[in-house]
Amino acid sequence: MGFSRLAAAMTVLFASAAACASGDKTFERQVPAEAHGVVDISNVNGTVVVSGWDRPEVSVRAELSEGVERVDVSTDHGRTTVKVVQPHSGHGGEADLHVQIPKDSELTVSAVSADVATAGVTGVQRLNTVSGDITAELGGSDLELKSVSGNVKLKGHGQPARLHVSTVSGDVHLEHGAGELEAGTVSGTLVVSLDSARSVRARSTSGDVHFEGKLARGADFDATSVSGDLNVRASADAGYAYEVSTFSGDISNCFNATPSEHGHLPGHTLQGTRGDGAGHLRLKTMSGDVQLCDRK
Amino acid sequence: MTQAQAEDTRVDWEAALVQRACTGDTRAFERLYREHAGRVYGLCLRMTRDAHLAEDCTQETFINAWRALAGFETRSSLSTWLHRIAVNVSLAKRRKASPVAPSLDDEQGTGGACEWTLETPVEVQEIEAAIGALPEGARDALVLHALYGYSHGEAAQMLGVAEGTCKAQLHRARKLLRERLNVEVG
Amino acid sequence: MSGTGSADERKVSSLRELSPAIEPPRDLWPQIEARINAERRSAPAAQPRPARARAVPPRWLAAAAVMASVAVGVWIGRSLLPAPGPGVQSPGSARASFAAAPTALDVAYVSDPRYQRDRAALMKSLQTRLAALPPAARAKVMASLAAIQRAKQDLQSALGKDPGNALLQELLVNTYQDEMRVLTDIHAASDAGRGI
Repeated sequence: MGFSRLAAAMTVLFASAAACASGDKTFERQVPAEAHGVVDISNVNGTVVVSGWDRPEVSVRAELSEGVERVDVSTDHGRTTVKVVQPHSGHGGEADLHVQIPKDSELTVSAVSADVATAGVTGVQRLNTVSGDITAELGGSDLELKSVSGNVKLKGHGQPARLHVSTVSGDVHLEHGAGELEAGTVSGTLVVSLDSARSVRARSTSGDVHFEGKLARGADFDATSVSGDLNVRASADAGYAYEVSTFSGDISNCFNATPSEHGHLPGHTLQGTRGDGAGHLRLKTMSGDVQLCDRK
Repeated sequence: MTQAQAEDTRVDWEAALVQRACTGDTRAFERLYREHAGRVYGLCLRMTRDAHLAEDCTQETFINAWRALAGFETRSSLSTWLHRIAVNVSLAKRRKASPVAPSLDDEQGTGGACEWTLETPVEVQEIEAAIGALPEGARDALVLHALYGYSHGEAAQMLGVAEGTCKAQLHRARKLLRERLNVEVG
Repeated sequence: MSGTGSADERKVSSLRELSPAIEPPRDLWPQIEARINAERRSAPAAQPRPARARAVPPRWLAAAAVMASVAVGVWIGRSLLPAPGPGVQSPGSARASFAAAPTALDVAYVSDPRYQRDRAALMKSLQTRLAALPPAARAKVMASLAAIQRAKQDLQSALGKDPGNALLQELLVNTYQDEMRVLTDIHAASDAGRGI
């Protein structure tokens, strides 16, 4: 048998058999996987829990409620795909997936109403949900998390990473992060705590932004909101220069600095320097209030 | 961490940002902008003596840098490269604003080794005003050499003049500053 | 030097003690970014760049292009205006010259035909897309879209009073971009719900 035909046969071999049409059921499958391969998981309804391990295989365990058609697991050229298949018409069911993957895999999860949780994954993570919540442990260097209305909860260990988080109405909670962060929401609340921030860009329309953390030397911090409040508590060994602007909000600070007005035009600005001023911190709102203090 | 180690770390970080910017990552380029905007604007402002023109020069500098980033050698200093672009942009803008070229300085002088120390301390505002009042050639050479730390040769190359001319301009700058500030400049 | 007015009151004993860096009186990055995005959109092949390691889904390329077109609108809008003064203050002359046309800026932002076309396409299918979302998600998303609409109205109203205000301009551009992001997210989310 030629290699390509063997590969095709292996792909078919690892596809799941159709499950029974009625009643709750369980599903289990293991497939070999590359240590730095790609794993794609999709689930419309239920939960997706992913954990990283040292074994060169992907293990899938699932509890499927009535209505779920089947779970497809396939692998092809270093990419493992796990997909919960719902019926085209009628009501689907819920699938609770537990997936173990090689920890350095590049992981992509697409979910609709499924909550997603990851732990022990050190490769790139791209987690997307519509209304499900995302809970992730920051282990890798590159993470992109998006949810429409679900909440995003992240816990790091102070290791630098590139982190991109966006929601429409979901809240974002990040603790013990580090490195570069780009976070955006329309009406959710951003609550961010960074052990060391090299670059932060936080944006909201009406949601509030709360930041507490340490700025690395020469760090850049930008937070803007139209009507949400900005509450920043920052420290920096090398200091930072700050610029706070608001059109109709209030500016308060812990430095006894007085915002300047613009004559007969609306708006307040507060500018100054903390310490050596090596970093840059900019806070801008239209009508939201801004508070800037030192991190204790 | 020693000063040299800190500088190495900084250069590595900057090289990584340049590489990312080369792939089209404007966030990375923004980081470079934030890091260097102050020095570029300071150079443009002192050369053009006009805040609006300096803003234009700063923007043009970074836009030109973005266009040419793929050709930048990460071994070189990004700061120096940006300043070269800023000088070219500022000179062009200045020529456009006042097309009549200032006459070349005939004054002889070695403009030799000078630490630009002041006999008595002077307020920064007063010094900046005195620098701003210098003729263009003298001011350009002084800013690049005394404030930005470029050698005579480097400053001359950036300004497109001979090294001897640059030294003569520096000699003139020193003399005029001495007269204006009424302190010895050594 | 005009418009600088150094506030540094210290005394120095050497020119070498002068700080080379002077921070621009306002943030120049938004305009730089707008020009870069405009050039990338008009000549994407002109700049040799190494290929990106990760493929970008087509819908995000479309969204990025739309955001770039909004940025072009901003750049055009700003280039029509005199440069605002430091911080959020605009020169009195700018106010006088634009007092009669408070919507001129808004027109400049959204005048790009590609932006209008893309937004119209997303808005046309919005109701259908929203209907495909889970009910709780749909309610939250509609609330967010309403928040964006209110933000746009508030910003446009404020800009009507202070047209040269750089802060408001930046926030309005952000809001247009966020609206496009949300519309694109809804589009993608409803596709995911259908199992596509």
